[in-house]
Amino acid sequence: MGDFLGQYGFLIVTMVQAGLLGLSLYFPLQAGQLSLASPGFYAVGGYVAAILLTNPAFAGWRDALGNGMFPLTWLAAALICGVLGLIVGVPALRLRGIYLALATIAFIEILRVISLNLSITGGAIGIFGIPQAFGFQDRWQYIWLFGPLLILTLLFARQLERSRVGRAFRAIREDELAADAMGVPPTHYKVLAFVIGAVLAGLVGAMSAPFLNTWNAKQGTFDASIAILAFVLIGGSRNIWGPVVGGALLTAVPELLRFLADWRLVINGLVLVVASLYLPQGIVGALGGVRRPPPPRRPPSVPVVVEAPGGGS
Amino acid sequence: MELSQLIQNLMNGLAIGSVYAIFALGYTLVFSILGIINFAHGAVFTLGAYFTYTLVVGQFENNGLLKGINLFPDGSPFSGNPWLFALATLIGAAVAGLVAVLIERLAFRPMRSRGGDPLLALVSSLGVALVVVNLIQLLVGAEIYNFPSDAYGQVRPALSFHIGEKVVIIRTVQLIIFAVSLVMLALLGYVIGRTRVGKALRAVAENPGTASLLGISVDRFILITFFLSGFLGGLAGTLVGTAFGVAGPYFGVSYGLKGLAVIVLGGLGSIPGAVVGGLVIGLAEAFVPAQYSAYKDAVAFALLFVILLVRPQGLLGRAQIQKV
Amino acid sequence: MNRAALTIALALIASVSAEKVQTPVPIGVALAQTSNTALLGQEQVIGARLAEKHINAHGGIGGTPIKLVFQDAAGDENSAINAFQNLITKSNVVGIVGPTLSQQAFAADPIAERARVPVLGPSNTAKGIPQIGDYVARVSAPIAVVAPNAVRQAMKLDPKIKKAAVLYAQNDAFSVSETEAFQKAAKDQGISVATVQKFQTTDTDFTTQVTAVLNADVDLVILSGLAADGGNLVKQLRQLGYKGLIVGGNGLNTSNIFPVCQKYCDGVIIAQAYSPAQPSAANQLFVKEYRAQYKKDPPQFAAQAYAGVQVMTDALRVLDRKKKLAQWDLDELRAALNKQILAGKYNTPLGELRFDKEGEILQKDFYVAQIRMKDAKTGTFVFLK
Repeated sequence: MGDFLGQYGFLIVTMVQAGLLGLSLYFPLQAGQLSLASPGFYAVGGYVAAILLTNPAFAGWRDALGNGMFPLTWLAAALICGVLGLIVGVPALRLRGIYLALATIAFIEILRVISLNLSITGGAIGIFGIPQAFGFQDRWQYIWLFGPLLILTLLFARQLERSRVGRAFRAIREDELAADAMGVPPTHYKVLAFVIGAVLAGLVGAMSAPFLNTWNAKQGTFDASIAILAFVLIGGSRNIWGPVVGGALLTAVPELLRFLADWRLVINGLVLVVASLYLPQGIVGALGGVRRPPPPRRPPSVPVVVEAPGGGS
Repeated sequence: MELSQLIQNLMNGLAIGSVYAIFALGYTLVFSILGIINFAHGAVFTLGAYFTYTLVVGQFENNGLLKGINLFPDGSPFSGNPWLFALATLIGAAVAGLVAVLIERLAFRPMRSRGGDPLLALVSSLGVALVVVNLIQLLVGAEIYNFPSDAYGQVRPALSFHIGEKVVIIRTVQLIIFAVSLVMLALLGYVIGRTRVGKALRAVAENPGTASLLGISVDRFILITFFLSGFLGGLAGTLVGTAFGVAGPYFGVSYGLKGLAVIVLGGLGSIPGAVVGGLVIGLAEAFVPAQYSAYKDAVAFALLFVILLVRPQGLLGRAQIQKV
Repeated sequence: MNRAALTIALALIASVSAEKVQTPVPIGVALAQTSNTALLGQEQVIGARLAEKHINAHGGIGGTPIKLVFQDAAGDENSAINAFQNLITKSNVVGIVGPTLSQQAFAADPIAERARVPVLGPSNTAKGIPQIGDYVARVSAPIAVVAPNAVRQAMKLDPKIKKAAVLYAQNDAFSVSETEAFQKAAKDQGISVATVQKFQTTDTDFTTQVTAVLNADVDLVILSGLAADGGNLVKQLRQLGYKGLIVGGNGLNTSNIFPVCQKYCDGVIIAQAYSPAQPSAANQLFVKEYRAQYKKDPPQFAAQAYAGVQVMTDALRVLDRKKKLAQWDLDELRAALNKQILAGKYNTPLGELRFDKEGEILQKDFYVAQIRMKDAKTGTFVFLK
């Protein structure tokens, strides 16, 4: 057991962590919003925790609070990411589809460059020597943080789906104009969904900074955005379990393929291709067994236009 | 700002921007016909450069399965003359086009026939990119390869102009890239706007169902689209490689993010938009004052964010049609 | 049935508590074999493999061969941690050489520290690495020592230097700490820094930075970056008409820059933590073996990885003389190996080296070289005295 946890403990926690990040993208997606901002909030949450836990300015707090400092970092990260989500979300959510996705990628890139340039974030080297949460001795123990967070998030997601808010999300996803006409203010709910995702990603970041022991600008990147999107789509974007399963599996695959040595990432790429071809409804969708009719084809979010120069259109 | 400084910045912007533009041309073509973002474009772009390198030099370094191979012990038949280099570039681009066709057959067509979430094409093409990049590394290692310095013949490395007292300079190779991207844009415009193939492509783009009812073989024209896109990508890869070296298997993938920004800024689906978007981002980066150069990327993306808010359909895109 | 299960369980527990050292002796290597850090990682892999071959051809450790166990640490923190976990738990290595990047070391080294497995960083140069823990040491010298020498050499070549431009890759931990040392060295030499330009290692087009340098009208350019970006900067500086001297940081100390800047590399002064010209017997042997196989001079990353494996083996040899390695308990050997690494003195291709009590390298020789290009593709680093 000790060996198993020694070898795979870290991996298991990162699988749960990936599931949580998948969920942070799933919330806005429930309201039909393709936001790829999660890595940005994840990075900010991590920086908030890392700064609170290492910066000399907060030494007094740390002495006074002891282990209470860790929950405080979560609270601070959630709060800051929530507010940031609001600031970014209100203008950005006027955009749709791929335009929103790109605006959120722009947001991530801006954050990345800023964190490379500030001294409080440690520039390129980042922040290191972040103390272990609650004096954890081994990385697998972080399951005691990420595990409950996952359960709470899933419970929250289920309650949300059943609530008025969840119905409003779905209404907006299916038809925004119709929802608006029926008295569901789309902007309000879209921002709400976005902020929920932001807070969750920020929380995960705050827990991850001690988990990784270090934090730097590489934590929030465009590549991570696409990876998280893959978690959700391969897992299944229509069910709360989808992002969890997708995140866990896609995180595990490259590690379980280590025995392939040099071919590891080639095969990992093939897995992605095959999964997206043969599991069009995602893993959870396929496991659902009951052949539900495929979701109505999303109308293309932008008109497809070919313009030829001078050719008129 | 002095006039010479202004002109220098303009030229810097065009130089940076034309690289983005030439990367984005093939990228936006697939989007305009199929409505999918093909993340594998960066990988095909890289392949184009490697194929041309194989023809022109044909020697690989110490890492990878092809280590120590020298295809042309007596010198490559494509070296020593800019026209031969151009020919090798075109062959490299054509092979890259064939790879793109293969990618369409293996990674995109099955998905279309199954009717999956269109976003899945992102994941599938990401997987393809991962496969290609890592295969390149397996075969020829992660090292930097470069084309012979006389690939374009004995041209001056940079051109300079006098503006009053001051001198303004630009690298020749970047002028070549700029010129080629305009030529490609014009050719593409001609093919799509004036030829039968282009007409069929437009029909497929507007409505594949109707197009097939009209007797247009949709799959065939999608293959043509991918070939053109891969060809443009491969050509761009070689050109950019001559300017900066082929910096390892991630060479093209690293343009993916800016490329995406370029095609969205220019207007998704608008082919001239890709060139305009590239140049606008290049200019934005060039005009960031030197002391803030560290924030260059942030400035480009902030600009993008703002432009998207003001004009969500992009610079040359059509207004968004509201569904009622 | 129950009894059998119990016996197996007991045996498992026993095997955990008193794992013996395997033969051949497993030494873990966790480097960037994939990702865009692989350009550095693959050179390190070559260096480590050469060390393994050389050591085993010369009788291993008192007759027992060593076996390098490779786990890809890619370029990110998670992969590095997973690689470390695998090496420590599954492969039962006695020690680890890796990871490639400093940021990865900050994440993965604490894992080894906790498991009490000695780590030698082959290329981690950031401040604070040896201080991660007792079990963490490095064979890669922080650059602050080399930089002043390189600037001094530039002054020697052109005593009229007054104004310098400094450029560095702001997303590379190594370049960021190096540029501080460079800027200080320039000021100490009475050179004024006219402009500081930042870029990213992923950038390719440096037109903006180069024009800023040209406008500042400087007679020295000091540049900290890695092979691809650094090489491109040199090339674009020259193509756009910069005529003065160029000093390149330690990240440019690789023949990988030759295909990038080609004939424009000529004359660039490079700060080196390793030089193929280093005269020691250990180095000349390494250079000979490397040349025989790869037809060129070994790069610094290969030499450092070689040194990492060698230091670990040399220390193991001392322990083997006390008690045959196969008779040690693994945990006991790991602890003893860590002490021995820090205590010893090593003749490596990097020259003679030792460690201070924190695990910081004490390297005697640093070098400054100037690049001489033979043709467009091949060049050499000519040692400057």
